Amino acid sequence: MELASKEYATHTAYDELLDRELRPRTAALPLFDYLNSLNDGELATRQQAVDATIKAMGITFTIYSESGNIDRVWPFDPIPRVMARKEWEHIQAGLKQRLTALNMFINDLYNEQQIIKDGVLPAEILDSSTNFRPQCIGIKPRFGVWAHICGTDLVRDSNGTVYVLEDNLRVPSGVSYMLENRQIMKRIFPEVFRTTHILPVDDYPTQLYHTLAALSPRAGEQPVIAVLTPGIYNSAYFEHSYLAQQMGAFLVEGSDLLVDSDDIVYLKSITGLQRVDVIYRRIDDAFLDPEVFNPDSVLGVPGLMRAWRKGNVGIANAPGAGVADDKVVYTFVPQIIRYYLNEEPILANVPSYLCMYDDQREYVLANLDKLVVKPANESGGYGMLIGPRATHEEREKFAALIRENPRNYMAQPTLDISTAPTLVDGKLAPRHLDLRPFVLQSDKLYATTGGLTRVAMRQGSLVVNSSQGGGSKDTWIVEEGDL
Amino acid sequence: MMLARVAENLYWMARFLERAENTARLINSTTHVLLDLPEGATFGWVNLTEIAGMDDLFTQNYPKANEESIMRFLIEDASNPGSIFSCIQYARENTRTLREVLPAEMWERVNSLYLYVRDNAHIACSSRRERYMVLNEIIQQRHAIVGLFAGAMAHDVAYQLIKLGRNIERADMTTRILDLHSAIIFPDESVIQEALMERIWMSTLDSLSSYQSYRRLISMHVRSDAAISFLLQDMRFPRSVAFCLSEIESCFKQMPKSQQLQQLTTQLRHKIAQYVTDKLDAIALHEHLDLLQIELGEIHESLLQNYFHAWQADIQPVLQPSNEFAQQ
Repeated sequence: MELASKEYATHTAYDELLDRELRPRTAALPLFDYLNSLNDGELATRQQAVDATIKAMGITFTIYSESGNIDRVWPFDPIPRVMARKEWEHIQAGLKQRLTALNMFINDLYNEQQIIKDGVLPAEILDSSTNFRPQCIGIKPRFGVWAHICGTDLVRDSNGTVYVLEDNLRVPSGVSYMLENRQIMKRIFPEVFRTTHILPVDDYPTQLYHTLAALSPRAGEQPVIAVLTPGIYNSAYFEHSYLAQQMGAFLVEGSDLLVDSDDIVYLKSITGLQRVDVIYRRIDDAFLDPEVFNPDSVLGVPGLMRAWRKGNVGIANAPGAGVADDKVVYTFVPQIIRYYLNEEPILANVPSYLCMYDDQREYVLANLDKLVVKPANESGGYGMLIGPRATHEEREKFAALIRENPRNYMAQPTLDISTAPTLVDGKLAPRHLDLRPFVLQSDKLYATTGGLTRVAMRQGSLVVNSSQGGGSKDTWIVEEGDL
Repeated sequence: MMLARVAENLYWMARFLERAENTARLINSTTHVLLDLPEGATFGWVNLTEIAGMDDLFTQNYPKANEESIMRFLIEDASNPGSIFSCIQYARENTRTLREVLPAEMWERVNSLYLYVRDNAHIACSSRRERYMVLNEIIQQRHAIVGLFAGAMAHDVAYQLIKLGRNIERADMTTRILDLHSAIIFPDESVIQEALMERIWMSTLDSLSSYQSYRRLISMHVRSDAAISFLLQDMRFPRSVAFCLSEIESCFKQMPKSQQLQQLTTQLRHKIAQYVTDKLDAIALHEHLDLLQIELGEIHESLLQNYFHAWQADIQPVLQPSNEFAQQ
């Protein structure tokens, strides 16, 4: 591989596209045939075209900083991550299984709590959960589904095993980048789409629409669907707008909606008030309804919970769904799958240590230099400790935090997560990545074809979050039979 | 069905884009006419700042009124809400909130226009030659945007709102430009040579892209009364006030609950048709234009009430718990 950078010589992680001898894996063969057919400098030219395209398409995300909000262009690497269809179908089945069980779990927690009564989940976990909403107790949403849209983070270890790292059940974002990345690739590398059978990803908006439409309380009528955004300064505003546009839904802010004295949600239209049937909310629970949650919220809609409780509006994801999006609850997911579905989990969890248990906590404290420690309820890569890379002081600080609030922390071995070749100075250098597929559930189940591949653009870095300097790649699920 | 907030943003987006283009045209044609002015003749650049009623803001922020400071103020000054840069920036911010109702390419177009203005506005302020090129590019990019509206967008309510914003802004701008140029010319009519007057009227027509049409449709000679009539009353020219009003009327016909707005617009158009322009002196013209601006403002206000605030009338009165109080 002439294109491979010197960094590959000392490489230990599993590489998605190259085997140990730096030969392209079968699924990636046509891609490398194509890359090798390009003249010197051609790749750099294409990279420039990518940058110009992204700028023109205005694909941005917002970063909060002291000097105000900055609209950043999402870093995009033009070398796709490739996976064979057969492997993907196995993962897809695992994702659907997982979300099905998680929804049964959430519905159980807000109703009978049978899983606690049966001693599978310790009661103290629920008691100390910050994402459990007592206001939702006794509510039975349609189909018993609470998390209609889930973003599951997957990583691959050095032995090739795919693990679930997190289930994002609150307001997961990133799917618009998955869709836009494919658009960019089609604009920049149209030739390669002729020679490789790459499965399309663009049915997501239609699937999302159907998932949401099934929640409408007015059966038989064309539902009015609204995407509720915190507004233009939210980091994912681009996505909110994109999805609304793709679905033909209304993109609304809290102030565009109103719950009248009849407990029905209306939007303020040019001809007066119009009923809304389904809200795809991209606002956290705490800000959703100042009557019930944070009273200071100006992002939400007063009375929304009233309307939802009465069944006058569908809300996705349902308020309170985040109770299963907790890194401590995460460690119980294999048991949750067995308990509700009576099946073995298809996808593996990363082995985890719970600091709430004395013996496991002692192990974590004694091995902080080898472990990754995560707080239970943070997202976006904030507030975690990567033991092997932390200083002594940072580890001491975390040890104190853990002793202070053991329920809030869990730890996992530091995975040597997989890499894929990424364009750096005209060469392909290994960069660590993960994969976030999106799974939908209401009356039916659906999982995306592939997902959003996030890549840590800095050498050696394991942090792929966009808020922490990560970028993304197109993800190709390819038909291996064609090759 | 459309959100009131979205409707309002569409309307303003169109107004800002139109305003930016009009300002660019005005600067270009003024620069042109300057080159032709005879030795010794002076032109008050500062008059340009009066067009959008921005003269106070200008004098507050700029110690000296010369070509360069006025160009900065009109083209790149972010603290002037009427500068080309500000208008494009507002239009872009509005477009950003409107992506789900506009054709997908619209954001790309408006965004690249914004990037162009951001990166080139300072060049346009420095030299006349570059100014012409940059402003022309802005005008052309804006034309591409209008083309996209016309050719790639469903002619639905969103489209009508854009067209309304464009035509209300355009009609307003035509009255302002007329007002400005008339103010320069009439007070000293006896002193100013006829040729110079004609030049300035040509510039007025040119700033509204109407010089060519005027010559073809009216006359080779530019006379003030004929030019005024052309810009106010001619139903063939798309920047005349009467033409804009008829566009506005046709938009309202496509909009829900618009009876009263249609009437208001038709009345104003009929009133303009009855002006006798060859008997207008400077003061009478100024009064006409003033009234015209007020009446355009009324159409704007009624539109706001009728569409952007319509929902307020639908809220159900909350039943007061008066019984409980009575019992206590």
